[in-house]
Amino acid sequence: MSVPLLQIEGLRVSVAGTPVLHGLSLTVQAGEVHAIMGPNGSGKSTLAHVLAGRPGYTVTAGTARFDGVDLLGMAPEERARAGLFLGFQYPVEIAGVNNAYLLKAALNARRRHRGETDIDAFDFLAAVKAQMRTMQMDETLLSRGVNEGFSGGEKKRNEILQMLVLEPRLALLDETDSGLDIDALKVVGRGINSLRSKDRAVILVTHYQRLLDHVVPDQVHVLARGRIVRSGDRALAVELERRGYDWLAESPSAA
Amino acid sequence: MSALNRLLDEFASRGATSDRGRQEAAQTLRARGLPERREENWRYANLRAIDNVATFLPPVSGTAQGSGSPPPHLALPPPLPGFERLVLVDGVLRADSAPSHPALVRMAKAARAPASASTDFAIDNRLGLIATLFAPSPLTLRVTAALNLEILVLSTLPDSANYLHLTVQIAPGVSCQLVERHLGGSGAHGLGCSHVELDLAADASLIHHRLFAGSQPLQFDTLEARVAQQARYQLHYIAVGSDTSRSTACVRLEGRGAALDWRALGVAHAKQVNDTMLTVRHEGRDTRSVQTFRGIAGDQARVACNAITRVSDSGAGSNVTQSLRGLIDGKGAEVDLRPQLIIDTDDVQARHGATTGQLDENLMFYLQARGLDVPEARALLKWAFLGEVFTSIAPSALRRAAELAAAARLADAPAAELLHATESVP
Repeated sequence: MSVPLLQIEGLRVSVAGTPVLHGLSLTVQAGEVHAIMGPNGSGKSTLAHVLAGRPGYTVTAGTARFDGVDLLGMAPEERARAGLFLGFQYPVEIAGVNNAYLLKAALNARRRHRGETDIDAFDFLAAVKAQMRTMQMDETLLSRGVNEGFSGGEKKRNEILQMLVLEPRLALLDETDSGLDIDALKVVGRGINSLRSKDRAVILVTHYQRLLDHVVPDQVHVLARGRIVRSGDRALAVELERRGYDWLAESPSAA
Repeated sequence: MSALNRLLDEFASRGATSDRGRQEAAQTLRARGLPERREENWRYANLRAIDNVATFLPPVSGTAQGSGSPPPHLALPPPLPGFERLVLVDGVLRADSAPSHPALVRMAKAARAPASASTDFAIDNRLGLIATLFAPSPLTLRVTAALNLEILVLSTLPDSANYLHLTVQIAPGVSCQLVERHLGGSGAHGLGCSHVELDLAADASLIHHRLFAGSQPLQFDTLEARVAQQARYQLHYIAVGSDTSRSTACVRLEGRGAALDWRALGVAHAKQVNDTMLTVRHEGRDTRSVQTFRGIAGDQARVACNAITRVSDSGAGSNVTQSLRGLIDGKGAEVDLRPQLIIDTDDVQARHGATTGQLDENLMFYLQARGLDVPEARALLKWAFLGEVFTSIAPSALRRAAELAAAARLADAPAAELLHATESVP
């Protein structure tokens, strides 16, 4: 069997001295889509941020390997260039730097990492505009500051646009569905699906099952109290939608 | 000998005592003295630097020094498209640069007594009086029709004093763009000193760009503007590179509906001191002012901005927006921001905010998570921080010059293409 795209074993993480993840293990193969669900405070976003390298999280035990390479020893930008993408739950606004510049800088950073030359300006614009059509985004947003004055939905679409342009090997999407109306959810789902391939994987961090109507996961995991307490297929997400999370606290772990 | 006595002695040695305006300026300085740090509005300025000025006397015109022409190694920047140009070299107006534009109806050479002599700004305009004393070519321009004018103030000699004393009167209903670029300057003891007085008549409009890009090690700048009814004044001020710079500006919104849009930027590194003071007086009804300052202090530098807005009891209906932001970019760096609102009437809308801090870690992580390395991310965020001031500079060549000047002073040098980062996408 090939090397997993992501392999997490016994991951323990603390934030400001407080343990948040308690020995989490997860294996994601290329070509798969995993959904990680769970109640508030269960550690979902912590997992996404630790994998992306956000400062402020202390790994006290365990490993995480990305395509066979120690992920935790890499700087955030090295992880990104290696093909890991974090879609933020709350994308930041950067007034004064337009979206096009950031997209191009990010894409060229990734291309240089692969030993490729910088992308031609016209090719870049053509590619971005094509993806903007997929995401049903107004092209004028390219000239705006990064997420500056964007609505919540526009910010989330912009995250997916960045993902589509950067073509990561592993996308971690942290509650990308939050704050989206039904139509926007469809568009975002379409964007995510367009990235699916046998070479890539997606981890969807979400509270709700509704995104999974549009992006059908191969596996669903329930995270509670810092560890995966149950895994299953899409039917698990449907059951969670119907029953909530409390029943998992009462039943034995099936992880 | 104190700096005051030295400059007055040097003034007396010039033998220009028949000039009434200069005499009045000398008397005022003698009576009031130079500013001192114990004065509230001067506490952040590096006034000790004035003791190190090599000489207050401007180079002698017509000699090998101060010949009125720039040496070959100091090439003038290309003219701004659509702009008339005046060039002052070491304070002397180049004869071949005087535009014959019909909108300029008068250019006087006599020094003019400062109009603020009887106002409260007369206390804060004292450094401007040094320019009144010594400026070889004081200029009074009367603008009677639409005009775009660039004034280049070039210093060619190390450790010399370079002056600009400029008065601009804009006729009713006339629109004008005025660009000041202060260039050159070298050595450790040179002085650049300017005093600009502006009168905007009713319904006039002035867009005024002022670029001080390391013009002299010590740069003092004083500006006074009076804005009449329904007149609009946009002032974009960019100061980078001087070891010590102090800008002192006072804008009086005298007429009903008069408006000011002030955007200023200060960048300092090493042990430089960049101090900006703005006083805005809302004296007419329904006057408006927007005041924006962005400053970055690197290394052990200090950047300060003191913005005082006073809405008098005659200024009912006025609207004030003040936004002062500073970025500390060095362990020994210091940013001092002082937004001050003094309101003497009830009917006013006023907003003000002042924030000082370091680069936002959330923004840094966002950029790193997109693959940008730390220096590139830092450079990008600093550039974004300054962008609000740059984007308001309409002449693209001037904007590029301002961006390059600021970029050269940032600890994390932005990539060349970063200079395009605030521009539009075709």
